[in-house]
Amino acid sequence: MKLTRIIILCTAIAVLLAVLLTIGGCKKKPAIERAPIKVGAILAVSGGASFLGAPEAKTLEMIAEEINAEGGINGHKIELIIKDSQGSSEKAISFAKQLIEEEGVLAIIGPSTSGESMSIKNICEDAKTILLSCAAAETIVNPVAKYVFKTPQKDSYAVISIFKTMKKLGISTIGVVVGNTGFGKGGKDQLEKYAPEYGIDIVISEVYDRAATDLTGVLTKIKAKDVQALVNWSIVPAQSIVAKNMKQIGMDIPLFQSHGFGNIKYVEAAGKAAEGIIFPCGRLLVADVLPDGHPQKAVLSKYKNDYETKYNEDASTFGGHAYDAFMILVEAVKKAGIEKENVRDAIENMSGFVGTGGIFNFSPGDHNGLDLDSFEILTVKEGKFVLY
Amino acid sequence: MNKKIYIPVIALVLLVIVIQLIIHASDAAYYLTQLTMSAYYVLVVIGLCLLMGYAGQISLGQAGFFAIGGYISAVLTTYNLLPYSDSGIIKFFSKLRMVIERQDLYGNRLLSFSPWVGFFAAVAITVIIALLIGIPVLKLKGHYLAMATLGFGLIIYRIVLGTAIFGEADGVSDVPGFVLIPACALEVNGSISLRIQNYYIAWFIVILGMIISVNLIHSRVGRALRSIHGSEDAANAMGVNISKYKLYTFILSAVLAAIGGVFLTHYNGSIGPSEATSMKSIRYVAIVAVGGMANIWGTLIMGVLLNFLSLRGYFGTYDDAVFGAIFIIIMLFAPQGLLKISQLQKICTYFKSRNKGHERASP
Repeated sequence: MKLTRIIILCTAIAVLLAVLLTIGGCKKKPAIERAPIKVGAILAVSGGASFLGAPEAKTLEMIAEEINAEGGINGHKIELIIKDSQGSSEKAISFAKQLIEEEGVLAIIGPSTSGESMSIKNICEDAKTILLSCAAAETIVNPVAKYVFKTPQKDSYAVISIFKTMKKLGISTIGVVVGNTGFGKGGKDQLEKYAPEYGIDIVISEVYDRAATDLTGVLTKIKAKDVQALVNWSIVPAQSIVAKNMKQIGMDIPLFQSHGFGNIKYVEAAGKAAEGIIFPCGRLLVADVLPDGHPQKAVLSKYKNDYETKYNEDASTFGGHAYDAFMILVEAVKKAGIEKENVRDAIENMSGFVGTGGIFNFSPGDHNGLDLDSFEILTVKEGKFVLY
Repeated sequence: MNKKIYIPVIALVLLVIVIQLIIHASDAAYYLTQLTMSAYYVLVVIGLCLLMGYAGQISLGQAGFFAIGGYISAVLTTYNLLPYSDSGIIKFFSKLRMVIERQDLYGNRLLSFSPWVGFFAAVAITVIIALLIGIPVLKLKGHYLAMATLGFGLIIYRIVLGTAIFGEADGVSDVPGFVLIPACALEVNGSISLRIQNYYIAWFIVILGMIISVNLIHSRVGRALRSIHGSEDAANAMGVNISKYKLYTFILSAVLAAIGGVFLTHYNGSIGPSEATSMKSIRYVAIVAVGGMANIWGTLIMGVLLNFLSLRGYFGTYDDAVFGAIFIIIMLFAPQGLLKISQLQKICTYFKSRNKGHERASP
């Protein structure tokens, strides 16, 4: 009995030491021809935000492999270090410090969520390390920090493009339903903020639980208000339920959704009811049906095909954000070499860069670089996403 | 008064210094960042160890107290009072030096409460909440106590996630450093230049916590707690005021968690809802379990080790799974923890018998 305990204790210690030593030992790699470029990434590969982080991590690995297979950038191989933050900001902070101080990375890609990005914004700014965030919140680039950039489109652009479409359709009174998540709350704020500017009246606005399985109660309330259109803002399966329930209670007004609807699974779940849903989205989902002359067509098709052949799963716009971040960095290194300051300047002055999210035009005052045109209004036709 | 109980404390002080010197000599100063962060988490598990190991009461809501501390201090020190700067109350606070003006990285002027106000507010609110929760909840036993505290943790998580002032899913960022003593520039701050200083500040706080705990364990209160752990009825019959001792220990553990939360938030410069999840609470319980329940030194060692490895990212994607697995394995094979006191004592006596006069208690 005593002996077993001691054996367990010793094995545990031995295993721990072995792990520590191997990990410690791995770090000292012999230098190859030209110094490799170290790129760090902090992504929520697992945990609640893994629907963002997992495709982002896969995308980065794919590109790094591809670039290294071609001999690197100007002879510099890329050394990609991906850290899984699981969406928690204290880990993101610890990893950001590791990447900056120990690895001396040229740039950090990520984090996937806005909260994490905000928590390491100042750390990167302090340490003068380039941060290319894959999160949506506008506060990441407003106020502008010298070393902090982001690739996803701003939420407000999604709202504005919805309102513009409504104006075209002559809609002036709407109902709003949102899920009780951070995303839903953010959408509601933006909708309320921009509605007066476009002469749109939000007659009724309701919040539902993210796990709701039936929304007829909420929808009946809205039906009674006799609005001209309904906007739903969420990233949960309730997006399909709203569409289904509307048909069931005989609401035949147009349904607008957020860019969170950009996943064909939601269309499949809603079946026939999804027909005619209108939503803004990046062009990745409609890469196949874009006209041949479209500037983004080549980039989108290549990314989509590469990703889908390699991983055998549908490409998502989230992976696209990481793709853009990485390619912007690669482009800047090609132009300016591997000196951190020069790379930063190259990113800030980059214009006309074609990515999956849109065409990036950075400037000292705009570290997002995308404009309203980065969103396309899509609709569902015969179970597929098409341009509206 | 038994002076022997301080030997491990002195050993810890020496160890802290030796580790810093070794790290300094081996040019790997960056390890201090994670050691500092771990220290604040250790504060939480020390408190939980007193509660679980000595008083025998489980709490699955420690992350809730940690979050209360962190969030209250974060909000008070970041909320901009500039629009109200002309009001009488704020002027009064300014006079008392409770409100300070500063500039953020982007040149914006901010007027907010000083971190000391945040600290005391956080501790005071934690005490009140622990008192309100503790009085009814500590009447429960076993599974019911676990469930009630778990529920408390979930409520805190939901409040944090759903309240605009707490930043909802994004948390609170741009939290300033905590200037402890302005005269000697002692500041809790995550910047690289203050790394060594912060390592010592963090461990100084942990050592203070350890001294309080060790004293408590070896006092009349500690004996009372152990008697409660053994059998509440027997303790009660012997005249131990069990509800009083249980409540005090609960409050002490909550305060230690909140202090850990306050300092880590200032050190990190931000706090997010991930600090309030029930997974975090379970992680603390797992650390106490692996440290040996009623073994405050084992808990300290395991707290540093596991948090350090987790924060360095060694567990990768399996982070939460590792803690879950540890929990299961410990409960199955070594319910008294890996670092069992009796085993250590045996080793100690073995060395003592071989080398008399050489007195070195390994913690």
